[in-house]
Amino acid sequence: MEKNNRSIRVECRKLLITRNESDLQWLIGSAFFPPLTILSTFRCIHSDPSGPDFHRESEEIRTLLLKGFDVIGALIVGKSDTEKTAARAIEAAWKLRKVLSGRTNSVNEETIGAVADPDTGDIRFFVSEAEGSTSLELTNSVSYDENPEKFVWETGCLLRCEIPIKLPFCFPVNKPSEVENIFLRAVEAVIAKFKDPNVVYMVEASSKASSDVVQPVILRGEELDFDTALPNIELLDKAVHNSDQKLLPCAHFCLKNKSTPELFSAENADIIQISVLLNRSEKSPKCKAPAVEYFPAMEETRLLIVDFNLEVLCYAVQGIPLMHAVSKLVIPGLVDQLNSMKKMTLPNLLTQHPQLHPYHFILPGIAHPITVIYELNYGETEMKQVDIRRSLHLRLGLPFDRPLIRIANALDLSTKDRSSNSSTRKGSSLLRDVHIGIPGSGVSGGSVSLVQGSYEYYHYLQDGFDDSGWGCAYRSLQTIISWFRLQHYSSIDVPSHREIQQSLVDIGDKDPSFIGSREWIGAIELSFVLDKLLGVSCKVINVRSGSELPEKCRELAMHFENQGTPIMIGGGVLAYTLLGVDYNEATGDTAFLILDPHYTGTDDPKKIINGGWCGWKKSIDSKGKSFFLHDKFYNLLLPQRPNMV
Amino acid sequence: MVKAVVGDETQLQLAEDRLSQFSLPAQVGLVIGKLSSTLERGFVFDLVPTPQNDAGQPVCSVLEASKSDSKKGSKPKSRTSDSSSSLVIDKDWVAEHARQVSRMMVGGMKVVGIYVWASEAAFKNSTMVLCQTVKGVAAAASFCDDDMDERLLIHISYSPRRWTCRNCTLSSNITSSSLQPCDFKMGRVLTSLQTFKCLYNFDLRLPIYQGKASNSQMLSDVLCNAISIYAKELRGAKAMIDGNLVVNDETCKTDGLHEVELLLPFMKDTYIEACSQKDVIGIVSFIGSVCSFSFLNSKEPISQAIADIKDDIIRSLQSRLDIICDEADGDLGPTDNGITEESNDLSSEKPVSELVLHSLRKNCNLSFPRRVFVPWLAGTFISDYLQSSETLEVLKDHCVELMSMEAPNDASTILEPEEEALRVITRSFWDVVVPCSSAPSSSQEKSKEIISAENSQKSIKSPKVNFIAAVFFLLLSVIVGYTLVRKS
Repeated sequence: MEKNNRSIRVECRKLLITRNESDLQWLIGSAFFPPLTILSTFRCIHSDPSGPDFHRESEEIRTLLLKGFDVIGALIVGKSDTEKTAARAIEAAWKLRKVLSGRTNSVNEETIGAVADPDTGDIRFFVSEAEGSTSLELTNSVSYDENPEKFVWETGCLLRCEIPIKLPFCFPVNKPSEVENIFLRAVEAVIAKFKDPNVVYMVEASSKASSDVVQPVILRGEELDFDTALPNIELLDKAVHNSDQKLLPCAHFCLKNKSTPELFSAENADIIQISVLLNRSEKSPKCKAPAVEYFPAMEETRLLIVDFNLEVLCYAVQGIPLMHAVSKLVIPGLVDQLNSMKKMTLPNLLTQHPQLHPYHFILPGIAHPITVIYELNYGETEMKQVDIRRSLHLRLGLPFDRPLIRIANALDLSTKDRSSNSSTRKGSSLLRDVHIGIPGSGVSGGSVSLVQGSYEYYHYLQDGFDDSGWGCAYRSLQTIISWFRLQHYSSIDVPSHREIQQSLVDIGDKDPSFIGSREWIGAIELSFVLDKLLGVSCKVINVRSGSELPEKCRELAMHFENQGTPIMIGGGVLAYTLLGVDYNEATGDTAFLILDPHYTGTDDPKKIINGGWCGWKKSIDSKGKSFFLHDKFYNLLLPQRPNMV
Repeated sequence: MVKAVVGDETQLQLAEDRLSQFSLPAQVGLVIGKLSSTLERGFVFDLVPTPQNDAGQPVCSVLEASKSDSKKGSKPKSRTSDSSSSLVIDKDWVAEHARQVSRMMVGGMKVVGIYVWASEAAFKNSTMVLCQTVKGVAAAASFCDDDMDERLLIHISYSPRRWTCRNCTLSSNITSSSLQPCDFKMGRVLTSLQTFKCLYNFDLRLPIYQGKASNSQMLSDVLCNAISIYAKELRGAKAMIDGNLVVNDETCKTDGLHEVELLLPFMKDTYIEACSQKDVIGIVSFIGSVCSFSFLNSKEPISQAIADIKDDIIRSLQSRLDIICDEADGDLGPTDNGITEESNDLSSEKPVSELVLHSLRKNCNLSFPRRVFVPWLAGTFISDYLQSSETLEVLKDHCVELMSMEAPNDASTILEPEEEALRVITRSFWDVVVPCSSAPSSSQEKSKEIISAENSQKSIKSPKVNFIAAVFFLLLSVIVGYTLVRKS
């Protein structure tokens, strides 16, 4: 590559440096992409004044990063001598790359050193060709991609390998100090076994639709090539049909027609399942009849069994041959995960073993998934687990006010049939996110601010419960609680009317006779219930007249941007749920996205949208009628996102 | 439910000729063949007469009601269709014959019932005893996958010469309804069979736990238990035929010998008890290879061939264990009094299979007999087992006696795929449980070095401990020789 042609490609929406969040960030790319393509950044969270703690950093990043992605550089936020800072970044990146890959020879891939100005947010990119070369190339050609998902997933696919491993080993009871060494060697033996010639890797498509036509492919351990480096592997053309199973590309198991762009996402990626089996029929010239031998233990001996539930996810481009995908991605992934789990198990070998389970997450703003290993012996809300999640949020640059890497957020890969996951979700039959796909508000030049995340539409007469005429605020509350549930802030069930009344009695706001009554509740009661059931606090905006509401639009827009929760509108008359605002600051034209709980029909999205039960309402419609009544007061309840992860 | 039965025309014609030639008043024997529940059909390969019992008497004779205590079987030409005649059958002997013959069967080939050569009247008067005999045979030669709750009863009547087949339901009480007639015809059976071969290597390390339950456990109990648990794991195994994974239930189109490879889950040892910590007093290493054949009717799906192979492997292991135990019983019989109260130190006089492991403080070993295959009809094989002391002569005796076939003259036609089990060089408990010792691979050696280097830094005081301490690793199936000399 000519030096002057060198350009950086940023496939990441959020490569912005806000505040002085971290000194050092690792730049993530992939060997499958053109060099100098940045997919995301991981913040360095273990460092002291002398520099990053490469050991701890590598341990954590190795677990987080799917095989198929790599650290390709580093970014330092600083104002001092740019070139020197860049050199420092590159040096750190070299070092981490070496620790991560476990190799001792020098890094000879291109490595990026970036320097960001903390005030302006400007980033300057420098490139070093290989370790040892002192010349740093300032690269001015930087392109930012608008659609990183398309870039990553148009040609990519996921490989998933799940193996439960039962590892039994013996140790002498009178020398418990030996147990750790024995355990380590047992793990080493498993690792060696992954590359055993008798091991067979069975590759199959995971989606039901395609597994009907595509037969599983068997890759034998003896045929695998562990020597070719990933970038040197020749990618295969999708169109070419190869009869040799060894040279089949991953594309063999991927759906052929992926035309709609929304399918380019990690959620919709093709997943190739890989199972590890042991060939028990290997031919050998010396085939011995069975024999039995008994060896008594001469000292007191104990058998210890450690269970490992490995579940590895790897990223590959579809052109890579399956056999290389297994030898260069899946097996190293299994080895790394086993080693991580080994380290987590080691301190508790003779006591209670941790229940380790890997989970995979797709996070906002990061085009690639990540893997986290959680210990299931602890509850998710225990401080230890919360701290683990907090540090991950910090590393990944995620906001601290929303749970994104709880187990409930994890990518569900277990269900084989993923084709129909949008409409039929388990547990609930209620409609979700009914506002998606409704006609526009008609505000010209306005900026739209909407609720963030999913909610369920609760309205009159649901569950055969007749609350017509009095239950609208209860329904609005149910919609709000469903939002908190679906964002994984809470796992409590959405309360019934009676349960809502009960909690108001419990806190002393109402007399016991309130339970079972048909009394209205308002915004204030809602805030009490949200506080009692979810610990959520709310902001309340009062307006004396409906005519004042448009003035609050800027404030409401800010709420949707920062908090993103559904708003309950109560007051003198009817209760509504507010899902968004469209607001043109210059003209003052405003519209409100209203979800109306007074709907009494069936859960049919067409009926709801056509009937205007969910839709944009201008404060004054084309007939000059006001949506919000001028002679009534309104209370707006703005639930605040809890500061939790 | 088997509705139609096809008999091999060539073999059954020969059998009929044989029967009429010797003009016996009655004969009972085993039906070798296969019952297919998916096809609802039975296939009869051959009929094997049950030899005379130890007393030298025929197992089946006609009892004339009028002459109550006549000499059995030796009645000259008393084939009158006396309506009161009935059959007397030595049921236990037929069952014992079935037990021994079933050990010689390979996959897809079983003792599926009995045949009887008798007059119409004698047969009719003897349904009770015939049903009991069928049940006895079924019990002695049970199928591993016992979804077939029926066996065949074939009657060859001599005047008029006629073949009829009945289906005997095993679970029901013996009534007239337990025998259902089914359609019987002759056709090509043996010549249309497809052959599948499989070599199966295993390496089990069975921990012997400390505890009350194991106090009286004999080695044979441990093995029997291990085989039955292992059978479950094997049943779930995936398989390849000629290098292609078996996914759907097709029939096999191509002729010739098909190689079957069995794929088992990676390190999911179901035979280890689910526990996190337990004291062990020793370890049983059960290691070796089983060569298996299976024969499939061309109409059956290939998954049946796989099921038959798995079945055959398990039965082969069980049969070998049975042979060892039978022999041990035989040895023990006369000297029974002398040995029972001996102390454990002298337990070596006891057969190895009956050693109580809990009290045994020294190594012991036991070789299973090796399996050999003898050519049978139309390119098929039957198998037999040879102990280390036995030669192929034993085999000929078995063939003549049990299968009433001619002894194979040419020893080169006999397949001997399994070598005699290795007499193991003396090793210790820790030698067996160290994975490195059985699978030398570069990465392991490296790791060993690293670990020992760490150890020497940490605890210089106990280098010997490091040496002795070892990993016990139950499903490490790679055997030294096996890895080294394995073909690509």
